[in-house]
Amino acid sequence: MQGFSDGGAGADLALLQSTMHTIEVACSSIQMHINPTAAEATILSLSQSPQPYKACQYILENSQVANARFQAAAAIQDAAIREWGFLSIEDRRSLISFCLCFVMQHASLLEGYVQAKVSSVAAQLMKRGWLDFTAAEKEAFFYQVNQAILGAHGVDVQFIGVHFLESLVSEFSPSTSSAMGLPREFHEQCRTSLELNYLKTFYCWARDAALSVTNKIIESDAAIPEVKVCTAALCLMLLILNWEFRHDANSMKAGINVFSAGVRHDNASSKRSECVLVQPGPAWCDALISNGHVGWLLGLYAALRQKFSREGYWLDCPIAVSARKLIVQFCSLTGTIFPSDNGKMQENHLLQLLSGILQWIDPPGAVSKAIEEGKSESEMLDGCRALLSIATVTTPFVFDQLLKSIRPFGTLTLLSTLMCEVVKVLMTNNTDEETWSWEARDILLDTWTILLVPMDGNGGDALLPPEGKHAAANLFSMIVESELKVASASVANDDVDSDYLQASISAMDERLSSYALIARAAVDVTIPLLTGLFSECVAQLHQGRGIMDPTETLEELYSLLLITGHVLADEGDGETPLVPTAIQTHFADIVEAENHPVVILSGSIIRFAEQSMDQEMRVTVFSPRLMEAVIWFLARWSHTYLMPLEEANCHLSHDYEHQRQSIHSRKALLSFFGEHNQGQIVLNIIVHISMMTLMSYPGEKDLQGLTCHHLLHTLVRRKNICHRLVSMDSWRDLANAFTNEKSFFLLSSANQRSLAQTLVLSASGLRNSEASNRYVRGLMVHMTTYLVELSNKNDLKSVSQQPDIIMSVSCLLERLRGAASAAEPRTQRSIYEMGISVMNPVLILLEVYKHESAVVYLLLKFIVDWVDGQISYLEAQETASVIDFCMRLLQLYSSQNIGKISVSLSSTLLSEAKTEKYKDLRALLQLLSSLCSKDLVDFSSDSIEVAGTNISQVVYFGLHIVTPLISLELLKYPKLCHDYFSLLSHILEVYPETLAQLNSEAFAHILGTLDFGLHHQDAEVVNMCLGALRALASYHYREMCAGKTGLGSHAAGQGNLPEGIFSRFLRSLLQLLLFEDYSPDLVGAAADALLPLILCEQGLYQRLGNELIERQANSTLKSRLANALHSLTSSNHLSSTLDRVNYQRFRKNLNSFLIEVRGFLRTM
Amino acid sequence: MSDEEHHFDSKADAGASKTFPQQAGTIRKNGYIVTKNRPCKVVEVSTSKTGKHGHAKCHFVGIDIFNGKKLEDIVPSSHNCDVPHVNRTDYQLIDISEDGFVSLLTENGNTKDDLRLPTDENLLSQIKDGFAEGKDLVVTVMSAMGEEQICALKDIGPKN
Repeated sequence: MQGFSDGGAGADLALLQSTMHTIEVACSSIQMHINPTAAEATILSLSQSPQPYKACQYILENSQVANARFQAAAAIQDAAIREWGFLSIEDRRSLISFCLCFVMQHASLLEGYVQAKVSSVAAQLMKRGWLDFTAAEKEAFFYQVNQAILGAHGVDVQFIGVHFLESLVSEFSPSTSSAMGLPREFHEQCRTSLELNYLKTFYCWARDAALSVTNKIIESDAAIPEVKVCTAALCLMLLILNWEFRHDANSMKAGINVFSAGVRHDNASSKRSECVLVQPGPAWCDALISNGHVGWLLGLYAALRQKFSREGYWLDCPIAVSARKLIVQFCSLTGTIFPSDNGKMQENHLLQLLSGILQWIDPPGAVSKAIEEGKSESEMLDGCRALLSIATVTTPFVFDQLLKSIRPFGTLTLLSTLMCEVVKVLMTNNTDEETWSWEARDILLDTWTILLVPMDGNGGDALLPPEGKHAAANLFSMIVESELKVASASVANDDVDSDYLQASISAMDERLSSYALIARAAVDVTIPLLTGLFSECVAQLHQGRGIMDPTETLEELYSLLLITGHVLADEGDGETPLVPTAIQTHFADIVEAENHPVVILSGSIIRFAEQSMDQEMRVTVFSPRLMEAVIWFLARWSHTYLMPLEEANCHLSHDYEHQRQSIHSRKALLSFFGEHNQGQIVLNIIVHISMMTLMSYPGEKDLQGLTCHHLLHTLVRRKNICHRLVSMDSWRDLANAFTNEKSFFLLSSANQRSLAQTLVLSASGLRNSEASNRYVRGLMVHMTTYLVELSNKNDLKSVSQQPDIIMSVSCLLERLRGAASAAEPRTQRSIYEMGISVMNPVLILLEVYKHESAVVYLLLKFIVDWVDGQISYLEAQETASVIDFCMRLLQLYSSQNIGKISVSLSSTLLSEAKTEKYKDLRALLQLLSSLCSKDLVDFSSDSIEVAGTNISQVVYFGLHIVTPLISLELLKYPKLCHDYFSLLSHILEVYPETLAQLNSEAFAHILGTLDFGLHHQDAEVVNMCLGALRALASYHYREMCAGKTGLGSHAAGQGNLPEGIFSRFLRSLLQLLLFEDYSPDLVGAAADALLPLILCEQGLYQRLGNELIERQANSTLKSRLANALHSLTSSNHLSSTLDRVNYQRFRKNLNSFLIEVRGFLRTM
Repeated sequence: MSDEEHHFDSKADAGASKTFPQQAGTIRKNGYIVTKNRPCKVVEVSTSKTGKHGHAKCHFVGIDIFNGKKLEDIVPSSHNCDVPHVNRTDYQLIDISEDGFVSLLTENGNTKDDLRLPTDENLLSQIKDGFAEGKDLVVTVMSAMGEEQICALKDIGPKN
């Protein structure tokens, strides 16, 4: 098809009609699904033809087929955005005003979606020209819109006007804007301009439009057309309040860095919240607050509420929903819009809102009953959301006070009663489905979290007023009751799938930590409560032993342990967590440590855990699942309370007497489980319990995983605990059992590794480096000896294939790997020796297990981890021998795998084989990367060059061996692809000269993968390839300038490749930039690669440019292209050097070049 | 199958047991397991509990290493499973005979002529094509529980 261009000449009516007909036919055939591909192509050709505007306008005005009109509007949009650069000012303006006039004129006739499309086209074009239009031009458009919104042309046009502004605002908001192929700065400028100059005006227009119809709506009994206008106006106001206000008078500096979008550094947002804060700044005060606007809104909704029983209105009708959303949004209003009057005005504002919202949620009992009886829950949920918003912008104290002026109780009490109601509903109909009570609970829990989470960086917990504490205590006991009930009920449904069980500990985490915050707000009540419940459960277990099924009680204990763990201690997240402040500062009156409620609670749990050592108790009571909770609790608890560092910093309080007392009680708590008190006894118990779970729960991977990764690992993270551990008999027993006991060989591989790591790490508790190294040697010597002896066996070849030998070899390799990854400066020596002693065995095993992919992978991973941990410490001589070893390993692996084809009947096994290969290669790449890092991080005393080792040689040699194994097929694995290209771009950047020394086959292979990466869909991979290309080309160019050969024959092209590599890449990069799709973020990196390429191949570049120009038929476009090409290399004083300034200039040039020409080049 | 004969001359471990017991919990993905008396490669292991407070059990999905069929099994973690003794030997491919047997060169210079070509068209063509192109081919023969099959081939042309 020749396209639908009207060519600028007077459009022939017959031609227009035939075009319309073609499009109509295409649209209806798509709808009826007759040959949709052809129809789509027809429609596409309309939007891709040059200047299709007349035809589109004709279709819009004359077609009876709504879809055709829609497609015509879309075509205007596509074509205009593409051709914008060379449309005349007049054309641009007329397109926009055509769209605007069109929707307004056909306001009552058009289908909703066509209307929406046309106004969004108008909005998008308006944005495209935003920076070019003069203020007067914009005024002219907006005058028209304002007239419409004022209602001068009837309700329908009024709606259209409001709707147009909605499209416009969302087009200007970065998160909802559409791509235009322009740099990000453009969008930022538009957004700033709109925010500063128009946004408030639009808001007022919307408000006035809503005001103008309010009375009619309130007075009429049935639904009337004005409702539509009012809804649209409310939506627009909501949209504007959702705008991410940036240009608050106080934070003008945020406007400087446009790329820091979304990160706001003001105080309010440091309070953790999912709630959007509305901070429009002081200029908005008159529009939003001081003129009774909120009162009007609440009044409107109250009036609507009265009408819910009537026809045309209901709780979830659009106008009610938008009104509620807007009210909730008003609750989030904060910042400098309120004058600095100690928050008076904001409090009044919130109080006004709260009193309106109160009817939605109060009294909680009645509300929840009504919902259970079938009323819609949306109003109640919105009420909860409003509370969340209010909590976000206030302190707990202000939050609580708000309600006091109109009710006898505070807001916290209301919040607590409301949530109790919700929890009650949850408890009674406990299903897996997400019901309204789930959602309400989550929102309310967020509200509590926001109120209670420490606000200042010092970790000071928010203090609640006494009434609030009481409310929190009530709520917590309700929550615990409900959780326990849910737990015991869950025993009945046996169909819980295993994934859910496994995830349960971590998945419940977030909810539990919110519960913990509530509990900590009233520790003096909640901790004794937990103690009571715990001993009750334990007593029940003992009474019922052997008589009745304990499962329900076990499940209750399980939940109770999780809740208690969260209340007592925080997750460390890599840091050492302190005792929560609430627990530290309360209980000031307790002097005797034994009477401290926290000590009592912890003590009773530890004593309970200790009972698991008893064989009979273990069988009847301590199920694997309960044991998991016990281990989890012990890990979390001991991280905080066991032998804490005494240097807890004191908060200075004004009340001296109170402070002294509280320090006293805190000391009592902290020192009770300290090193010189009960600490060592408890530590001993914990080690015994750990050893027991590893030996007496065979095959319970989850439990053993928790013990290894969580509990034991936590212990060795602190040096003072390590110090105790290494002197304890129980720890020595554990180490002995680890090396000798058969049951420890049955642990899963990850657990083996972790245990080895833990034991090696504990060596840091020894006096000095010598003792530590001796300890590690003693630990690992059995394992290395076994491997050495095995590899020396004469019948190794046959013995090695026995399953039991494979199992012990795998096991030992996992342990070596675990130990290798625990290398610290102190134990580095012994770990190094460990690796050296098994170097030969590793190569022998790699040979005999070449068909046993699982073992091969373990061997590689061990070496990878070992080299990674050692390389930066090694002296020159050692480095040389390690590198020599790695090269032998690589060569052996490569010789075994090059040209190997697996044959199998099963496609699963074949794809498994491919995955294994991928994992191996990834490990090898990691190995090369680690070797590479020796050049960057080196702690050794002498330079490695002394021993004649050149890292770049090594890595190149390595690449030589590895790259033939990397096929384009394998590069489809994203992680491998990523690793490969990051290694490649690193190497090319740091050692470009060695690339020249590669033989042509390896060179071609590497460049082949580079070409592949350049067209990869992952932008980061493309970015790395561009970086590699830049490095290569700029190296070559610099060498050439210095009169050297650079890449020599590779660059010139040879034999079967007549074209040099730079010519090839110049071609393909230009092709990519001009004609293909890519993320605009890549333009910078592409410019950096393109500049040196052009400099290397200037002749070819000229030729390609001329070809491009020649291909252009249209003479105006031809001259535009020629000009653009010219200014690409000449504007901004671009020179032919490769320095930073020049790169920057070229980036700018390329950006404007692409904006200028891509539009028309891509459509030809 | 005529494998008794071959056990005789080429295997040092002739008479070694065909399977070994191993705790179910220690068998991992990519390992081997005997399921329904067939040697399988484990492609998936998941654990679950028998009831909330019961003991762990392992769910294995295995692929029969000879016929590619999928087999599944559930075993309590602490119980033992049979693990097959899977052996792989490399031989140089000397000839492919008309009647569907291959002739292989063993390490000690004898020939092994009792192994059939696979019947599957696809596998067959991979081996035949390589051989027809005159490449030096090494085939890997996998044997377990009294069965054997070619499982991989490798071109050891003059390049290496």
